[in-house]
Amino acid sequence: MAINVKGFKDSLLRSLPLIILIYVSISEFQTQFYYWKIFSFNLQFIIIYYWVLRDPSILGYGFIFLCGLVNDVVLSLNLGISPLSYLFVSLVAAYIRAATVRSTLISDWFTFVIAIMGGNFITFILIKNFSDVGVNYTDFFYNSLFTFILYPAFWSIFELYKRGISLRVYD
Amino acid sequence: MATSRDDFGIAIRSALLQRGAKQKFSLFALILASILIFTLDNLELKPVKVLRGVINDGVYRLSAISSSPISFASASKNFLSTHLNIYKENEELKKKIEVLEKDRFDTLYLQTENNKLQEVLELDKTTAYSTVGAKIMLDKNSPYLNSVIINKGSNVGIKLGMPVLSKGNLVGRTVEVNYISSRILLLNDLNSKIPAVISPSGEQAILSGIGQKNPTLEYLPDGFQNIDDLTVYTSGKDGVLFPGISIGKVINNEVDESRVKVKLFSDPNQILYVNVILDKSNDEEAK
Repeated sequence: MAINVKGFKDSLLRSLPLIILIYVSISEFQTQFYYWKIFSFNLQFIIIYYWVLRDPSILGYGFIFLCGLVNDVVLSLNLGISPLSYLFVSLVAAYIRAATVRSTLISDWFTFVIAIMGGNFITFILIKNFSDVGVNYTDFFYNSLFTFILYPAFWSIFELYKRGISLRVYD
Repeated sequence: MATSRDDFGIAIRSALLQRGAKQKFSLFALILASILIFTLDNLELKPVKVLRGVINDGVYRLSAISSSPISFASASKNFLSTHLNIYKENEELKKKIEVLEKDRFDTLYLQTENNKLQEVLELDKTTAYSTVGAKIMLDKNSPYLNSVIINKGSNVGIKLGMPVLSKGNLVGRTVEVNYISSRILLLNDLNSKIPAVISPSGEQAILSGIGQKNPTLEYLPDGFQNIDDLTVYTSGKDGVLFPGISIGKVINNEVDESRVKVKLFSDPNQILYVNVILDKSNDEEAK
């Protein structure tokens, strides 16, 4: 019984990034962190990039795809826009993982620029050409900028968390 | 050079096709699935639209439930700050009551005068609307859309483009209608364009959202004078919105003089309940 409880706790802890990703996609999280008319950031990009790069067993591509679909419904975008941009971020992360031997915060951070730019570019092009929704370019820019700036902070939090769950598993 | 190109190819192929630990789908398969879904959604086939409506209803309900802790925290913060400012607010309200008392007598006089004039002109006296009340389920501000989701849809007769009021003032119009939920595009959204008339001068303009708190007036006539106490109403020129719905006051102390901004009577970021105008009532209902 004790083993089962420990197993449940471990699987819950390992699923936490996925739970956060689903929650952020489905809730009003973005609205609550929209300050001073400029401050907003894309937590989904940060979560996806970090976990696909550092521990892909935590976050499945299928779940990333589903979270994208949910995000499209909640934001009233055409279905398929967010999954494509999230999967592009995953692709960049998976490529960096395959191409590099040892990743550091600095290397992760600067390659994250490619993921943000590519992901937002896909969103922007698809909205611009296939939807009637107007895009505020300034908001879009600030969103990308703050996502980039905040990455190291989340990297540190996730790194500590990853170490914590690794210690529990090998305990 | 050739080796580095080979390395790039191998790494990309590995990223796209390798499923790895605990991955049930490859990235390539999911990207194809996303493109397929995107294409089907863009074709706007009726079965896909119905399916999307069902998904929307389900996701909105789920989203409202999952957002409740955040909404509760936000409401608690507002509640506390309101209580801290209660003395100051009380003083302001007393002053406002004095002004309103005076206005009430002015209004009564004008109403009587208006009734008399209408009798003379035999104008249509219909002023009230048939509305349906709805609660805001989700308040989503994003870089793409300033909109809210309400808990009523086509089940109570809501249709696309219907005007939405909060405390009797226009706050937006419906842009997406599902069976038990609808999306309201707020007046301050970048995509919102409403034909408006400015009172008392009677000048016509288009009220456009610019993604900020206050929308602006566009296509104003040459020589427009931004004087005190200009009120903006819907003009009804688009044939969709009814004329004479109050929107807001023109701001004339704005530093940015290139834009004429309008302070909305109902702050779109503070609304909790709205009324969707279904139709104009007939004279009997209006009475």
